[in-house]
Amino acid sequence: MNNFRALGLIAGIAVAPLCTLSNAAAAAGYSADAAQSRLEFTGVQAGAEFKAVFHKFTAAVDFSADALATSHLDVQIDMSSEDSMDKDRDQTIKGPDVFDIAHNPSAHYVTKSITKTASGYSAVGALTLRGVTKDVPIDFQFTQTAAGAKLEGSAKLKRLDFGVGQGEWKSTEMVNDAVKVGFSLLLKPRT
Amino acid sequence: MPIQASRPRYSAVAQAFHWIIAALIVTQFTLASMAEDLPLGMHKLALLARHKSFGMTILMLAVLRLAWRLFNRPPPLPAGMSGIERFLARATHGIFYVLLFAMPLTGWLMSSAKNYSVSWFGLFTWPNLVAPNERWFELLKSTHELLAAVLFTVAILHILAALKHHFWNKDDVLKRMLPFTKSEKRS
Repeated sequence: MNNFRALGLIAGIAVAPLCTLSNAAAAAGYSADAAQSRLEFTGVQAGAEFKAVFHKFTAAVDFSADALATSHLDVQIDMSSEDSMDKDRDQTIKGPDVFDIAHNPSAHYVTKSITKTASGYSAVGALTLRGVTKDVPIDFQFTQTAAGAKLEGSAKLKRLDFGVGQGEWKSTEMVNDAVKVGFSLLLKPRT
Repeated sequence: MPIQASRPRYSAVAQAFHWIIAALIVTQFTLASMAEDLPLGMHKLALLARHKSFGMTILMLAVLRLAWRLFNRPPPLPAGMSGIERFLARATHGIFYVLLFAMPLTGWLMSSAKNYSVSWFGLFTWPNLVAPNERWFELLKSTHELLAAVLFTVAILHILAALKHHFWNKDDVLKRMLPFTKSEKRS
């Protein structure tokens, strides 16, 4: 009898955390509609900004304003889809000294924590780029829409933290170290 | 002894415009030919960044020069020149003025079309004139190069004409554009 009670207690303790989890608000699942989403970066070359986009990327988003602990953003980028609207520059960017897409065909960003800020949200996530993983903070806004949601935001990073720029491209004289990233994702509920 | 009336010379402002822009144009040809055959790299970017900064400087000077020129007539051509010589002189000077605008403008356009915005010595960035477009870039590049060839040819004619005036006609056409000289009536 005592043994059974003890077992019941143990079972109760074991199940309790699971109950707490399922009782907490779960973040709603979305995925980005590729055709209507945009991921771009802005570099500075010889003192002038240039913009490039990634045509191919996937984004899985779990987000609820009241469940930030279980919310997260996961983006997978096809580096060969980089497009700066100039063939010559794209060839260099995809080449061994910059993105080295032959060895690093994709980049990955996944958030570790999301917090509410005055104007929206900020997150810290791990960015894996050119084989190097480092934390990169992002700021974003999340807006619920009739069909899903919209997630727009930006980040700043230093390309040389990830080894993006080898050989002569290590120099920041003609190409700045700082790069801005911008994204605008049209999210649809994940089925 | 009669005092020789001093012949009209180009003003200091006109001379400054002429020689500063001439020096910049020589620099532009040098930078462009150095960058032309290089692969895309730091060195090429650095040369072209300078080429663009100088080019936009020429454009700004061209605006000032044209404005100034509209209110300041150049000294008259020597009396002995024939009709065809006068026409050639006016035509070459006219072409120069057109090229002073056309060269930097086609350069600015081709940079815009290639999605390489033009910075002025890293201090500020000029707005893009057209959206990135590869075909437009190729067309503008050919135009820029063609105009450069025209400029080079007209510049050679201009220099030869100045030397001809000085050494053959022995008039003051060259000297009146030279700083630190006096234009006296030569026999």
